[in-house]
Amino acid sequence: MNYYGGCDVGSTYTKCVIIDENGKIAADTTMKSKMNAEVSARLAMDETIAKIPELKGPEDLAYLIGTGYGRNKVPFADENISEISCHAMGVHVTNPNVKAIIDIGGQDVKGIAIDRDGTVKNFAMNDKCAAGTGRFYEAMARAFEMSLDEFSRLSLKAKNVIPITAQCTVFAESEVITLVGEGKKMDEIAAGIQMSVAKRCFVMAKKSGATESITLTGGCAKNIGLKEAIEHVLKLKVVELDTDPQLMGALGAAEFARQKASAKN
Amino acid sequence: MKDLKHFITFENLLQEANNDLVMEAKEEGKLALGYTCYYIPSVLLNLDNCFSVRLRAPRSSSPDIATYYLTNRNCPFSRSLLERAIEGGYHFLDALFGSETCAAMDRAQEHFHLLDLVKSPKFFVTHLDAPLKNDKTSVIHYRTQFEVKILNPLRDVYGVDISEEKLLESIEKHNRLSRVITAIGGLRKLENPPLTSYEFHVICLVAEVCPFDKIIGPLEETLEELKKRKTDPISYRARVVVAGSEIDDPDFTKLVEECGLYVVADRYCYGSLPGYEEIVLREGEDALDAIARHYLDTSQCPRFMNEEKVIGRKQYIRKLVEEYDADGVIFQAMKFCEFWGYERALGSYVLINEMDIPCCTIEREYTTSSTGQLRTRFQAFAESLEYKKLNV
Repeated sequence: MNYYGGCDVGSTYTKCVIIDENGKIAADTTMKSKMNAEVSARLAMDETIAKIPELKGPEDLAYLIGTGYGRNKVPFADENISEISCHAMGVHVTNPNVKAIIDIGGQDVKGIAIDRDGTVKNFAMNDKCAAGTGRFYEAMARAFEMSLDEFSRLSLKAKNVIPITAQCTVFAESEVITLVGEGKKMDEIAAGIQMSVAKRCFVMAKKSGATESITLTGGCAKNIGLKEAIEHVLKLKVVELDTDPQLMGALGAAEFARQKASAKN
Repeated sequence: MKDLKHFITFENLLQEANNDLVMEAKEEGKLALGYTCYYIPSVLLNLDNCFSVRLRAPRSSSPDIATYYLTNRNCPFSRSLLERAIEGGYHFLDALFGSETCAAMDRAQEHFHLLDLVKSPKFFVTHLDAPLKNDKTSVIHYRTQFEVKILNPLRDVYGVDISEEKLLESIEKHNRLSRVITAIGGLRKLENPPLTSYEFHVICLVAEVCPFDKIIGPLEETLEELKKRKTDPISYRARVVVAGSEIDDPDFTKLVEECGLYVVADRYCYGSLPGYEEIVLREGEDALDAIARHYLDTSQCPRFMNEEKVIGRKQYIRKLVEEYDADGVIFQAMKFCEFWGYERALGSYVLINEMDIPCCTIEREYTTSSTGQLRTRFQAFAESLEYKKLNV
């Protein structure tokens, strides 16, 4: 049996996926990224490989593709492909009916429209600052003195939305602290935060040309409050994926690896 | 690139505005005339004992002082030029010619005068009122502006000979340079071009920032070398046209190229398309008539408001895509650029939705910073173009 690997070195998490000849996920790993992208890639890949007894090391993989911001630093990769292409392919193989993605990673937000073959039709990207990214949520959860998971659920109970006017992560954190100090309801402030991010996602989705069947990928896809806010602004039901949405980049890379190896043979 | 005799010199000449050739010309007693926009025809600045220098601010860092005098909403190009002037980088200039093209650059150039930033004893700044259309009235107005804002001050302050004879000589210099740049640029149409798009960008830039008499020889020699150059085929995934606002940093093109995209056509401010068409006098025209008509007709500036020009700008890009066999377009605009900001949004929409041309749009700084994020965009664009080609 041949295996194919995808290693997505993100700014906050590193994800690895190994698939078999049929494209089925054989093993995967998600771990916090280290300062050094090469170290992150090695640790995540070693852990993933250890889950498949037939494999001893990355050299046993028929083909391996690196992706994510650290894609050039994956030492054992045969080549690298941008995370935009990989997320599109990852979602396509998971659910071919999905035609658009909002990918909210640790340091940027992307809107991606997918073509019929799983390649990128169009994309838009916000990387000007940390607003609306995983880093932003980390700062907000810190301001609320909650875990990310607790924070993501907080807005679900809100009856009102208190708008957050600051776009900048640093200033938004100050604004939230002021609102808390004024005695505003925590869940309503949280709903305002989710809405501010959802609005950014709306712009990225529309810029990329997304009009139908959209899904969320990246670490923030697990944020239930955000998902609800995005559905509200986009007036669309966000499609839930059967596979962990945080793995889509690595899965897409592994699928590209499978296709490239087949083409070579 | 090491095989090209002059190329390393060309790269070095781009490291300073006051480069070695500018210094040589100044030592010979020539007048250095700065400009920043296509609306100031360089052909008017190469008269008699003058030479034109398009202002750049190589290796710029944060323009803090310029931001104080202007605003942080001014484009980084205007702020970087002012910052460099404040740092003392343009003392070699004898005059600076501005155009009322955009308010940001107007304010920056105004500060050259207000802050007394250039130490040449007779240094002056003028601002030309550039037309918004290219009709007959505009040509007449533009020509008058040439006289009032450029030629007469040069004659009155420095005694420059602005006769018809000198103007015709300057047109011939412009045409000679245009023939060289057009010939080199045309090599990019080949399936295996003998030069990288980075090399071409460097060649275009040195042609603008060095005295004509000193750079034309090396450029002509480079053309001859390129015609005979034997290199391995340049490996690229797709061919692109780059459109939009000014790109002063050749590292931008290098980055695009590193992502697998070969820039076949440069349709940005001070790219070669347009910019290097020969000026031809028509019957009944004198030199100034021909220059005014030529620049208004060839300009693809988004400042033009007449319908013919608005539609023509998109059609021109499509023509380049077809002529240069490009797979897509990178539409870029400098942050806070008044005109290209709108044009990028509208132009990319028209290209994608009405002309079916794949388009990657980006907003960027003056120098090529944040390369990681740009690299992701360009790589993704290259991948999508490559897959589309494979699936055709």
